[in-house]
Amino acid sequence: MPDLLPFVISGLGVGAVYALSGVGLVVLYRSSGVLNFAFGALGALGAYVAWSMLESGWPQALAWAASVAVAMVLSLAYGRLIAPHLAQRNPTIRGIGTLGFALVVLGFTEWFWGEQPRRLVLPTDAGALELADVRLTYTRVIGLALAVAMMAGIGLLLARTRVGLKMRALANDRDLSALLGIRVLQVDTVAWVLSGAFAGVCGLLLANIVRLQATLLTFMVIPAFAAAIIGRLESLPATVVGGILIGVLEAVAIVVPGLASFRSATPFLVALLMIAFHQSNTRVA
Amino acid sequence: MTPISIASPMAIPPSIDALQIALDRVRRERLRSLLVMLGTLLVLGTMLPWLANAYWTKTFSSALALSVAAAGVGLLYGQLGLVSLCQFALLGVGGWVALRISHGSGLPFELCVLAAGLVSALVGMLAGLPALRLKGLYLALVTLMLAGGFQVVITVVGFPDGGPGWLGRVEGGERLLMARPAVATSDSAYLRYVVLWLAAVLALIELHRRTRAGRSWALIRRGEAAALGAGVNVLLYQTWAFALAGFCAGVGGALLAGGVGQLDGRAFGASESVMLFALSVVGGVYHWLGAIIAGLLLRAVPALLTDFNVNGFLAMVFFGAALLHALITAQEGVAGQVLSLLHRVRARWTAGSAP
Repeated sequence: MPDLLPFVISGLGVGAVYALSGVGLVVLYRSSGVLNFAFGALGALGAYVAWSMLESGWPQALAWAASVAVAMVLSLAYGRLIAPHLAQRNPTIRGIGTLGFALVVLGFTEWFWGEQPRRLVLPTDAGALELADVRLTYTRVIGLALAVAMMAGIGLLLARTRVGLKMRALANDRDLSALLGIRVLQVDTVAWVLSGAFAGVCGLLLANIVRLQATLLTFMVIPAFAAAIIGRLESLPATVVGGILIGVLEAVAIVVPGLASFRSATPFLVALLMIAFHQSNTRVA
Repeated sequence: MTPISIASPMAIPPSIDALQIALDRVRRERLRSLLVMLGTLLVLGTMLPWLANAYWTKTFSSALALSVAAAGVGLLYGQLGLVSLCQFALLGVGGWVALRISHGSGLPFELCVLAAGLVSALVGMLAGLPALRLKGLYLALVTLMLAGGFQVVITVVGFPDGGPGWLGRVEGGERLLMARPAVATSDSAYLRYVVLWLAAVLALIELHRRTRAGRSWALIRRGEAAALGAGVNVLLYQTWAFALAGFCAGVGGALLAGGVGQLDGRAFGASESVMLFALSVVGGVYHWLGAIIAGLLLRAVPALLTDFNVNGFLAMVFFGAALLHALITAQEGVAGQVLSLLHRVRARWTAGSAP
């Protein structure tokens, strides 16, 4: 039995990003009932903006902020301008609508920045923690910490604040909430902006950990869905645990002979097992 | 699809005679639409090989092979409202089976295509099993996860290309091409051959839609309780729809493999399944014309843009916008708009000729 600990630790970095993406998807789904296929595309566009700004010598912090801001603004634009046209349709159609948006954003990004793959280098790559013989760069450490912090923050927001209560109300019944005097559009705005912020952060991290390529980052949303599925599209803690679990399992699969080349199928396999497992609870969605 | 109006709101119940007349009209309509479809494809099949150069002949073959798969997507979404995001993966399954059988046993091409269709139908049926319990978004997600899993497996395993062993991979040597049917070895003959298969599959779907299966699907779409109440075997017809859609994908995959000669494992990502669904919706899911348009959008339009030196990613921006447009305002897709345009032209024509 080989020593698994190094693989577990190296899997934590990617797992954290899966968890973070999953949380971003679940927050939006819970309040506005939209499963955002454009999540990855927004993150990718944000990461490209940061890359361009860094290339032309802007300060790091400003580039990061701009990247997240771009994702937030675009997310909000879709949520306020286009999503309302589909608000009365079933959740599947609302999700497929964001797929259209994803294609627009992806097409624009690939056209504008060109196809050659780049890598977004962050200053946090230089330093690293040594854990069980594994170099865990600070970027990954920050990703992990961010995933936990943002999950906790969102959890508190939903459970303890007024706007969180409204978001939950909207998730339950949009029309009824409107009748009760909840400003649907206002709450929607919060949800879309929050989800956009998550997309921006995930885009930055993935552009650093994997590589900066729009098509790849856009469709990274598919394994992120797996994390959200583990949380049944509603539980934030389960989504975080699921995301990290997927990341770790994917890394550990390297040591299993014969499975190593199939290891990127882990998210899908785990998600399918989970769906089969809590099938009786998923009928409503 | 021309709307069929049997039951116009009437104060008195229709007599037996009126019903008979209406039924006759439905039958005539059924025959007429089938003939129009076959006629259109006949024209396509004769005109395209004659007009197109070598490059475009190949492109059209691939595009129309994908049209066959798009017909399956349209069937599931248009008739039952089910979103399946793994149809391109099923196309890959069909392509794999066809290549394996062709290289392994050298059976006639038609048998390879049929076997590919049947295996994909079986896999599609299995993929559709969750749909009996899961609805809507979760079905879309299950199929998307399946497509993701297939992407990983096929990237590693690859498509058979005449090598030894069960996987049939050539290691290091030259990859063999799949043998084309004896009647269609040239590119233009193969395009005609693909059109023939497309016509057969579209006719099969059209027959389903306008008979008992179509009525059952319509009832299931209204609500399973209603369908059960009306005596529809929900299990049978829903599974059958998935099998039929899988069959379409498998046949499309085999035709694609035959056209190109070999398939690349890296070209079967989950994103392709997503694109196939998106463009099927853009093309139009309620009419056979939509499937043809979807295939052209998938392969011919990007090729056309390359011809004009336009960046292919701009097509993606356009496709995304078109998908939103199709979802929000034009739910019958491009096909619906073309048909309503034809309808208006014909209406003006007849109005102009009559005094």
